[in-house]
Amino acid sequence: MSYITGPEVVSYACTCGLLKPIPQLYFCRHCSQLRCGFCVCHEVDSIFCGKCSENIPSAEARVKKNRCASCFNCPSCHQELSTRIATKGPVVNPEDAKQPSPHKKTYYLSCYFCRWNSRDVGIPDQGSATGAWPERENVHAHRLQEIMDTYKQVMMSQKQQKENDKKKQRGKFVSFTDRTGVTSSAIRKRIGLPDIPHAMLKKPNPPEPAVAKLEVEELPDSLFTDPVNLLEITTIEQRHLQPETQAATVDMLFPIHKQLSIKRSLRCRRCEHNVSKPEYNPNSVKFKIQLFAYYHIPEVRIVTVEPLRAGKTCELILKFTNPTQHETTIAIKYVDLEQQATYVEEQKLSDVIEVLEQLSLQQPTSLPSLSGSQPSSLLSLTPRQPSITVKPRKINEEVNCDVAIPDSSFILPPRDDAAEYDDSTDTHNIEDDPKLVKWRKSNKAFIKLQVTPMAHLEVGKEVICGFTMQHIYTNVIATTIENKLPQKYEHNVRVFLRLGNVVGQE
Amino acid sequence: MPIYEPLSSEKLTVVLDIGTAFTKFGFTSEFAPRYIIRSEVRCKRTNKIRKLSSYESPEDLHDLLVDFIHAIYFKFALISPKDRPIVIVESLLCPTLFRETLAKVLFLQYEVSSILVLPSHLVALASLAVDTAMVVDVGYKEAVVFPVCFGLPIIQAWQALPLGGEAVHNHLKSLLSNANPGLQNLPEQILEDIKVRCCFVTKKSRTKSADIVPPPDVKYPYKGAQTLTVTGKVRETAFEVLYEEDNDHLCLSTMILDALLKVDINLRHSLTQNVFLIGGTTMTIGFKARLKEELLSQLKNEQYKMLNIKEFKFHVAPCKENYASWLGGSIYGATEFLNLKAVTKDFYLREKHLPDWINLKDVVGLKQDNGIRGAF
Amino acid sequence: MELRDSNYNKNDYVETASGNKVCRQTVLCGSQNIILQGKVIVQAEAIIRGDLANVKTGRYCIISREAVLRPPSKKFSKVVAFFPLSIGDHVFIGERTLVNAAQIGSYVHIGKNCVIGRRCVLKDCCVIEDNTVLAPETVVPPFARYSGSPAVQTGELPECHADLMIDYTRSYYQHFQPLPK
Repeated sequence: MSYITGPEVVSYACTCGLLKPIPQLYFCRHCSQLRCGFCVCHEVDSIFCGKCSENIPSAEARVKKNRCASCFNCPSCHQELSTRIATKGPVVNPEDAKQPSPHKKTYYLSCYFCRWNSRDVGIPDQGSATGAWPERENVHAHRLQEIMDTYKQVMMSQKQQKENDKKKQRGKFVSFTDRTGVTSSAIRKRIGLPDIPHAMLKKPNPPEPAVAKLEVEELPDSLFTDPVNLLEITTIEQRHLQPETQAATVDMLFPIHKQLSIKRSLRCRRCEHNVSKPEYNPNSVKFKIQLFAYYHIPEVRIVTVEPLRAGKTCELILKFTNPTQHETTIAIKYVDLEQQATYVEEQKLSDVIEVLEQLSLQQPTSLPSLSGSQPSSLLSLTPRQPSITVKPRKINEEVNCDVAIPDSSFILPPRDDAAEYDDSTDTHNIEDDPKLVKWRKSNKAFIKLQVTPMAHLEVGKEVICGFTMQHIYTNVIATTIENKLPQKYEHNVRVFLRLGNVVGQE
Repeated sequence: MPIYEPLSSEKLTVVLDIGTAFTKFGFTSEFAPRYIIRSEVRCKRTNKIRKLSSYESPEDLHDLLVDFIHAIYFKFALISPKDRPIVIVESLLCPTLFRETLAKVLFLQYEVSSILVLPSHLVALASLAVDTAMVVDVGYKEAVVFPVCFGLPIIQAWQALPLGGEAVHNHLKSLLSNANPGLQNLPEQILEDIKVRCCFVTKKSRTKSADIVPPPDVKYPYKGAQTLTVTGKVRETAFEVLYEEDNDHLCLSTMILDALLKVDINLRHSLTQNVFLIGGTTMTIGFKARLKEELLSQLKNEQYKMLNIKEFKFHVAPCKENYASWLGGSIYGATEFLNLKAVTKDFYLREKHLPDWINLKDVVGLKQDNGIRGAF
Repeated sequence: MELRDSNYNKNDYVETASGNKVCRQTVLCGSQNIILQGKVIVQAEAIIRGDLANVKTGRYCIISREAVLRPPSKKFSKVVAFFPLSIGDHVFIGERTLVNAAQIGSYVHIGKNCVIGRRCVLKDCCVIEDNTVLAPETVVPPFARYSGSPAVQTGELPECHADLMIDYTRSYYQHFQPLPK
């Protein structure tokens, strides 16, 4: 099963030009085009902890720094820690063992993989299982906060000043005090009030600058004599797991809160419809919206291929499966890489036009080249910006094998789940070209194709062939709303097959 | 009127410092990065780990960055990048291809609303609250020295040499393969681990004298059952490559002094009083002590006598050195600076490039509204 | 790639009324505690330790050669207790894999030579790649791909993984045919 573990043998060309196996593709019903993870917009749908499977609202996740409050990872090997019970009663003498002493349950954290536990680093056992495990504080936090506040004030006053400058330029006779020469501070003085400088204009006190020292950390002499115990020194990974402390020895490693995970929803950039939206429950593997190509586009699989020899025609058997509830007709055509190239060019052109249009629209409003502050803050208020579509690119695959294009097309009946339990071989009474269709069962058909690896290929070179699969796609999107008949139209997919390596002559 | 606009403090803004070896990721107004991760992605096709710096073509880099930023947002940040600002801390010497591709990925693929690009050497000083210092960044690929005076990096005085973690790894590799015959290609991960856990920067006096007692050997477990002996000599000489003068008589210490030679004579004193070491490699035990020793001994050289310097003073960062520039980015990103100076999506779509100091067109534009310097 | 037919010797396998195909060369301890829901294939030299606790599999499960299903144990202060092992539908367990998990959801693919540690919980739709060692008590969330030793998440699965697994286990069952005489 190549999709789960093996290499990608059959790949489909996405509209954006990337080649992907079919499970990684999406099919936007609204644009009727293939999309892949690269050309859709990813969004965070819900946040959950992978260990305790609890959904965590995004506001809470932010407060907790995207970490689970109750699950921990081992600071030594980064596996999940387990909470273990340590029954710590009062010291029981063998003599009073008969008297039941009040047992108090305490808990500690332990790693089942590397045997690290929270007692190793001197964390006291906790009274409750979820435990208020001690957290480390950043020793420099106070100083850094001070610095940051000052910087914020400086920038604030600078912004204020800029705005004031703008105001002054705008109206010449806005304020009466300006005209009469009586400023508010002058009035204050006159009526005998102390002069209060404006809060925003006050120059903030710069924080005490750090003082450089002559002395630096000296090399401890013990390094030259004491043997090194590697088990006591942390690795760089272990240090980086705790960026704040970056402990150099293992006795300073503290348990790490487990990083939360997300469920993602995907959105088509062109039409802004979702192509994938998962259910809220973290354990659920179902989707509210699932426009996966696997459910809409016929699947192609290689069944057998004769030994490939350069310049010799050999038989290739493919299996086509129709995953939809509608009958489809499949025709195999030449793969045209030029087509994608022209498509790329077209998109570029239309882009240029778009930009030009935008420019002509924006020209009056935004003349200064670095107009920074206003647009960005305004933008953030609007709920959704239209997406920028990802530019298509050329298909980066070298086809080195000719496919004999069959003259006829073939029909694939709709998928019927009940047929799985039905062992009778119904043939749907479809008249097939025996040269093309080898065998068929329910919604699947085995197709014979003649392929010829190019004559110049050396032995051991990988053979890649491609064709365009034209199938009839039945769009049921309008039927539910407007009660119309489903629309049928032809949809083309470029399929590339890695057939294997060229073998030598017999 | 509130001092802080609630809008800016409510929004989570990602701060990213993409280094050659490690990427620092976190949010603005936090004092430590959330994660320090390797700058690499798993190639979907071959399932191999690829470094961001191993790109073969601009398109390749684009795809690597798409995957990398995807992991940053959806594995760690857990927010949608669309219509949010982002702060990027980058070296002033960042290749144009890299920053342009990054901008393209962020604006077109992830549709961020604006990007604030901050020069790493300058913003690293934010956590110290000083505006004049000699900033020495020793990272993985190279060591870069930038004097920063009154909040402006002196661009004509920059110095860079390929002395960093990578050079140490290569040196260590040859030392180890000399000491253990048959060990040719140690993977970089193991070299890095040996470097971090066994090696240190020794004293200058020990490098000269021949009869010293080497520090104890370390038995390093390798490939399961095997052990690899890291001799005491290897342990203390692995970092020597940073201090040995190359064919042009250049090394870490001369870089700093050369940079000093290039700045105005009146600024030199305050620069020597404020040396700030950042970057992961400077965290090695003994690194700073040795650098100080080297600087002082280099001063006796003829070419540096005219500097007339007696001493160097070093700053101690209120954080770990490897994320000092990230912290600066976090502080800057928390202020109104983000709204004032960030490159917006509109601007990018119009101009199709990021403003850069090497681009004359942008420099003119930037001069009109004088940079961060105006703040002090 | 479409699956090839894999043939077996008709005398080696017992086929039950519900469609289970169990090899005679397997070790099924405590068979009264083992429930195979139907269309399950248990291949040669697999071991299922029903004597320790109940083992229950869903429909269309494939237990490959030399795989070991062993209900998980937990040591308490005085005794060692075993917990039942439940496996969902459409689960593939690779060759020479040791499963000590407490629970395996549906649509799970476990590769060859894996060790699934004690009391692990594998949620629906996940993949454990070949040669993986899953530390005890690990929880594998849906749509995760785990590999390495100790195992960490190395990838994500496509959203239609459930259908891929249904298709895979069904066609495996269909292609698992006795040798023609």
